[in-house]
Amino acid sequence: MQTETETCPVSSPDVANRLEQAIAHAAHLLPAQGPINVFVHHNTLHAFEEQGFHEAVASAATTFGCHPYLPEEDYRAELRAGRLTEKQIDEALLRETESGEELLAGGLTSRLRLRRAMLLSPQHVAPAAELNWLIAETDALRKYPVGQERAQVLEVLEATKRWALRSFPEERGNSAQASEPFARVAAWLRGTAPGGLLDWSESDWESATLRVLWGLCRQGVSGLPPRAVEFEGVRHRDFLYRWSGSDIDRPVNELLIRFCAAYVDQGFSQWELPGRTRGFYRCFLGLYARPGMSPGAVFDGLAGELQQLLDAGTTATAATLESLERLGVSEPEWDEYVSQTLLALRGWAGMLNQLEQRGDRVPLGVPPRSLAEYLAVRLVVERVVLRNVLAEQGQAGLALTELRRAAARSYSRNPNPSADELRRAFALFQLARANGWTPEQLFAIGPSAWAELVRELEAFDSIARRKIFQLAFEAAYREQVLGAYARHSQTVGLRQVAGRAAASELPSFQIVCCIDDREESFRRNLEEIDPACETFGAAGFFAVPIYYRGAGDAHFVPLCPIIMKPQHYVVERVSEGALEQHGRRKKARELLGQQAHAWHTRSRSFVGGMAMAVLGPLATLPLVARVLFPRLTAGMRRAAGEIVTPPKETELTLERQGGPPGKEPEQLGFTVNEMADAVERLLRDIGLTRNFAPIVVVCGHGSSSLNNPHESAYNCGACGGGRGGPNARAVSAMANDPRIRALLEKRGLRIPADTWFVGAFHNTCDDSVRFVDTERIPNEARPALEHVLSVVEVARPRNAHERSRRFVSAELSLSANKALRHVETRAEDLSQTRPEYNHATNAVCTVGRRARTRGLFLDRRSFLVSYDPDQDDAEQSILARILGAVIPVCGGINLEYYFSRVDVAGYGCGSKLPHNVTSLIGVMDGAASDLRTGLSAQMVEIHDPVRLLFVIETRPEHFLGIMQRNPTIRRLCGNGWVQVATLSPDSDEIQLLRGETFEPFCGPLEELPRVNQSVEWYRGWRDNLGFAQVLAGFQPEVKLSSGPSVGRG
Amino acid sequence: MSVDPNLAFNGLVLLVAGGPALLLVALGLPPLLGLKLSERFAAGLSRLVILVGLLALVGIAGLFWTSGAERALVFKGSDWVVLEEVHFHFRLELIFDWLSIPFAILSYGLCGLIAAFAANYMHREPGYQRFFFLFAMFLLGINTAVLAGSIETLFLGWELVGLSSALLVAFFQERVAPVDNGLRVWSVYRFADAAFLMGAALLHHLTGEGEFARLAGTEGWPNAAISLPEGQALLIGLLMIVAAAGKSALVPFSGWLPRAMEGPTPSSAIFYGALSIHLGTYLLLRLSPLLDRVPALSWLVLGLGLITVLIASLAGRVQSDVKSALAFASLTQVGLIAIEIGLGLRYLPLLHMIGHACLRTLQLLRAPTLLRDYQLLENALGRHVSNRRNPWPAWLSAGGQIRLYRWGLERGYLDTLLDRWLVRPFLAVFRWCDRAERKWTDLLSGRPSRESDLVRPTDELLKELR
Repeated sequence: MQTETETCPVSSPDVANRLEQAIAHAAHLLPAQGPINVFVHHNTLHAFEEQGFHEAVASAATTFGCHPYLPEEDYRAELRAGRLTEKQIDEALLRETESGEELLAGGLTSRLRLRRAMLLSPQHVAPAAELNWLIAETDALRKYPVGQERAQVLEVLEATKRWALRSFPEERGNSAQASEPFARVAAWLRGTAPGGLLDWSESDWESATLRVLWGLCRQGVSGLPPRAVEFEGVRHRDFLYRWSGSDIDRPVNELLIRFCAAYVDQGFSQWELPGRTRGFYRCFLGLYARPGMSPGAVFDGLAGELQQLLDAGTTATAATLESLERLGVSEPEWDEYVSQTLLALRGWAGMLNQLEQRGDRVPLGVPPRSLAEYLAVRLVVERVVLRNVLAEQGQAGLALTELRRAAARSYSRNPNPSADELRRAFALFQLARANGWTPEQLFAIGPSAWAELVRELEAFDSIARRKIFQLAFEAAYREQVLGAYARHSQTVGLRQVAGRAAASELPSFQIVCCIDDREESFRRNLEEIDPACETFGAAGFFAVPIYYRGAGDAHFVPLCPIIMKPQHYVVERVSEGALEQHGRRKKARELLGQQAHAWHTRSRSFVGGMAMAVLGPLATLPLVARVLFPRLTAGMRRAAGEIVTPPKETELTLERQGGPPGKEPEQLGFTVNEMADAVERLLRDIGLTRNFAPIVVVCGHGSSSLNNPHESAYNCGACGGGRGGPNARAVSAMANDPRIRALLEKRGLRIPADTWFVGAFHNTCDDSVRFVDTERIPNEARPALEHVLSVVEVARPRNAHERSRRFVSAELSLSANKALRHVETRAEDLSQTRPEYNHATNAVCTVGRRARTRGLFLDRRSFLVSYDPDQDDAEQSILARILGAVIPVCGGINLEYYFSRVDVAGYGCGSKLPHNVTSLIGVMDGAASDLRTGLSAQMVEIHDPVRLLFVIETRPEHFLGIMQRNPTIRRLCGNGWVQVATLSPDSDEIQLLRGETFEPFCGPLEELPRVNQSVEWYRGWRDNLGFAQVLAGFQPEVKLSSGPSVGRG
Repeated sequence: MSVDPNLAFNGLVLLVAGGPALLLVALGLPPLLGLKLSERFAAGLSRLVILVGLLALVGIAGLFWTSGAERALVFKGSDWVVLEEVHFHFRLELIFDWLSIPFAILSYGLCGLIAAFAANYMHREPGYQRFFFLFAMFLLGINTAVLAGSIETLFLGWELVGLSSALLVAFFQERVAPVDNGLRVWSVYRFADAAFLMGAALLHHLTGEGEFARLAGTEGWPNAAISLPEGQALLIGLLMIVAAAGKSALVPFSGWLPRAMEGPTPSSAIFYGALSIHLGTYLLLRLSPLLDRVPALSWLVLGLGLITVLIASLAGRVQSDVKSALAFASLTQVGLIAIEIGLGLRYLPLLHMIGHACLRTLQLLRAPTLLRDYQLLENALGRHVSNRRNPWPAWLSAGGQIRLYRWGLERGYLDTLLDRWLVRPFLAVFRWCDRAERKWTDLLSGRPSRESDLVRPTDELLKELR
């Protein structure tokens, strides 16, 4: 150990505070995902929102080691498929390139042309060994690539031939007076083929051209200053890893994963970690300091080190400071060093942080300061392992304070400089080939021009190229969307939009669904089946944020967006008549539950094993049945389960007499005034204040699937990963209450007496729709309700059919009814890893009157928020409160999909197939990995990563006003985390937000294809579809000729 | 109409043993020729082969039953390799008796189930074809090993099982951990296989015979007796126990079992929950005449079983993830099965293996449902569910608790011990050889002779390639 030169910093409170800051900074970067059974979507890079999107993803790429965009090859595939065009790439390039017209390399090319060529012709990047092989063993120096335009190649060959004959006549070939460069080129030429130049065939010339190009490129880059090798790394581990290839994180993580899992365990393991309540640090010390075997050779000496800490009574903070000092990490480095140390096991560290912050979300919280103590433990363990690894490599004498310097020194001596040159030469060679540069041109340029070319090439690196691709990719879809919206607006005509609201004829029924993109097709299908109906979209907690406990549930769950904290508690109570039955079933349930629990644990113990010898084979029966006939088995299980499920006759405890709300029986529910507030808020938000139909359905949603640890992620985002049925039921019951209607009437919102609200629940996985409290409906309203039920009954299979087109395992030729059975099977299938596709493909969020988009096929890609600009006040307060919730929530969902899609292993949780539920709190890959956060490959595989495009029916100045007032909106929209466009409330004018100002959108307005029914448009297609007008859903005001036949792409 | 029973038997055997081989070729050959098979083809063919094989097996079971079920039915292929001077004949030999028929039906049944499950579960996975290819290899291996009528045939199946298992552990080859753990499993298997091979060679050398039926005399399993001198039987038995312990993760090789849970869920279920893990104990049963001959071997098996049960049940208690918990639960049962074998029981361990395999497969397949199960349980019981009832025995002091807990958390330190006493000395020897070689070559060439020294252990270029 080196001697300590400074006084020990432990005593100083300032230093401790400084360390706290560093830890807080690092904690900010850790994944913010809580326990997986309440999955809340959020922006993966929330910590970077203060920066612009593109700077943020680039700096996050360095911090997290993750991809900022898709791989280039994926974008090129889109280009080949025609979903992205060169036009958009050119536009993006022009916008993003500074002084693009500037000529480079003595007029050989311009920056813009160079970059364009780099984007359009793929650059093969490879290690030196592979390049050597390519040059020596393949046709790289014999033939231009197959895809290249032949006419251009022939021109180059022609030029080469002329130049060669002119400048390298045979007689001068080996003469002494030829300058050295000339002689070299002459040698390359001669070496190509036997015979005189005049006898050469075209293929000889092709080969000669390429050989000379390659030779010139190699010559040109030789002797240029080498590329600065940036040593990326902060921690000792990074340096040691780059230096020697041994990664201390592997043993360190393995030990800490085991310990962390035991530490946060919510009650899965049978033995609790002893001393867990004493905090992470004390607990770890207690467990590993005692004499006993070391957990592995690399940990030798750990017990002694820990025992010292224990004996000296060192606190966690002091231990951290001591470790930092012994590692030679100076104070200015702390932020970075601590962050990277915590990020080494980011999932577990993040979970410790989450449990510390939100202990209320789990049954067993963790003691405070767990994250800081984890850091202390980790640093001590790393120190010990570093020393052991160094000793093993014969470097025992190297002090840890010196390790990083020594490694960097050794690393900066490039062992193989020619590899770098080879790579540069090959990059230029590819560019020369693709651009059709002739050997003569390259021969003419001097060393400074070569240097300039190399500089330009290296400045436009992979991330810069992918950024352009991403911008172009987003623009391509944006133009499609905005063009379609503008065109559709023209067709619908504004009179009709306004007219619908004032129509004398009432709608046949109205339905309020969640804004969720999955409900778009459900609503569109309802509108197609019954054109007289009206649909609305409101955030799926329907303005009733509650803690809810169902009749058969053990705990309250919050049902509202994560940004809110509910004040009110609601309980589902079994009606008087069914109480006896309820009691009986409850007992049966408890009994079965106890047996099941006993079976769960005992089957893993050895006593239970004996029983297994007899019972095991019986287990195959249900297993075979469930794997081979999932849907049938599920039906049987449900029928059997009837014996224990709570009775259906229940009611919600909605009304409280007064006093503060709370959990106790007399505190449950809302006061009449609070209920009126909730109903008014919902109706005014969606603009449903007149023309009430006889039946108004409020439809929450959720999703159920089997064998799926991420089940909660498929539920309603506006209910914080819960199911929105109870909210819909509650708000309907409130709206039916005559006292509340009376109150509302006083506030100028009259609900007619013959209008009845009904709650419903849509399961987006098996497409079932369950209506509640229908028995309370008055007889007069019954026929109207029957009509609603019949329409929904037709809509379910149609919706299932439209969804099924995305499932490769569903035949495209399925009938609607078979499709419904197919999705029902998916929900019940143990082996199904894609019960549904959730929010995948989401790309747009439309805020405005449904009439503006009704009849437009949006392909389940748009969130639909109902908002009527005509009913808003001068301050746009309704829009402001809608956007205040919708932009962070929908933007968060979209961004989580974006990041999980561009790097599913880094930002997402990888493939579901090896997932392993751990500590009842999250999933790992296999038996010991970091806790995996984000979305799985199976959830995002069909998603196109584009930033969410908000299309808001308002005026640009109104939006700018709201943006100024709301810092969250300003941050997300101003920094480009979402895209915003406005659709004028009284024309088809569209403006697009760029930075903090709007620019008019003037894309090409093409005629939209027209079909009678959605199915005609999507039938037979798996991929994303373009827009179309569906005539069954709306009446165009503009007289239509027969619909144009346009391709679907 | 009467069918020649011999002909019928041979035909059925062809279906049982040939089907998996055919499947392996059908799934393995096209990719070599650059053809990509459809998911439907791979999954459908697997299911078909298994269904046919299963029915054929049932048919053979019928023949066995009607033939009186006393002597095993033996199928002998023609000679592949003949070394007259040492009296060595290698040919495919399959045996159908009270031991192999139930176990073969079990493995066929579970494989069929897994094929049906994986057809959906692996959908759209880039390695779909690879999975089914390895699965076919496993099927062929387990089938050959279980039905093997001679030690050579058994070894063939044994190797195929080992290879496919290790490759499936490393199925997600783009990540480090699975490959690392796959390699570890493979190394342990190799060690066990070496013991097996030595044992087999020794058996041949001493008896000139590898056929179980002839070795064990006239009586069928489990009443067969072997006529070897005790010393020789002890030596062969010891080697075979090492082989069995490696395959069944008995002490001291248990460390690989939880690491094997890296692959996709269905392969973990079938290999480590159900079939692979029982192959070692199956070998012990198959060679039970050896154990009967030398009581010391039985005692050894009993001891190994006991220690395994002890460690596995202790480690199982502290695991906080579902797959590790199930892995150690499996191991506990395998230890118990070993104890039963050590006690001289024969039918009970067979029954135990079958029951255990079925149940554990179900549990592993639905392991991802854990969170939902807990939620349902909590709702049924109306309270937070914890597995922690009376966690510590009253007599245990606080220090003892900690020590016991740590022992469980470190899985009995088995891996540490293996690393320290087996792996490190082994590596040290070969590193010494490497250094010596480098010295020589440098000396001979007069300059640093390793080109690989010029390559950095890590390459910045990887960033660009991402």
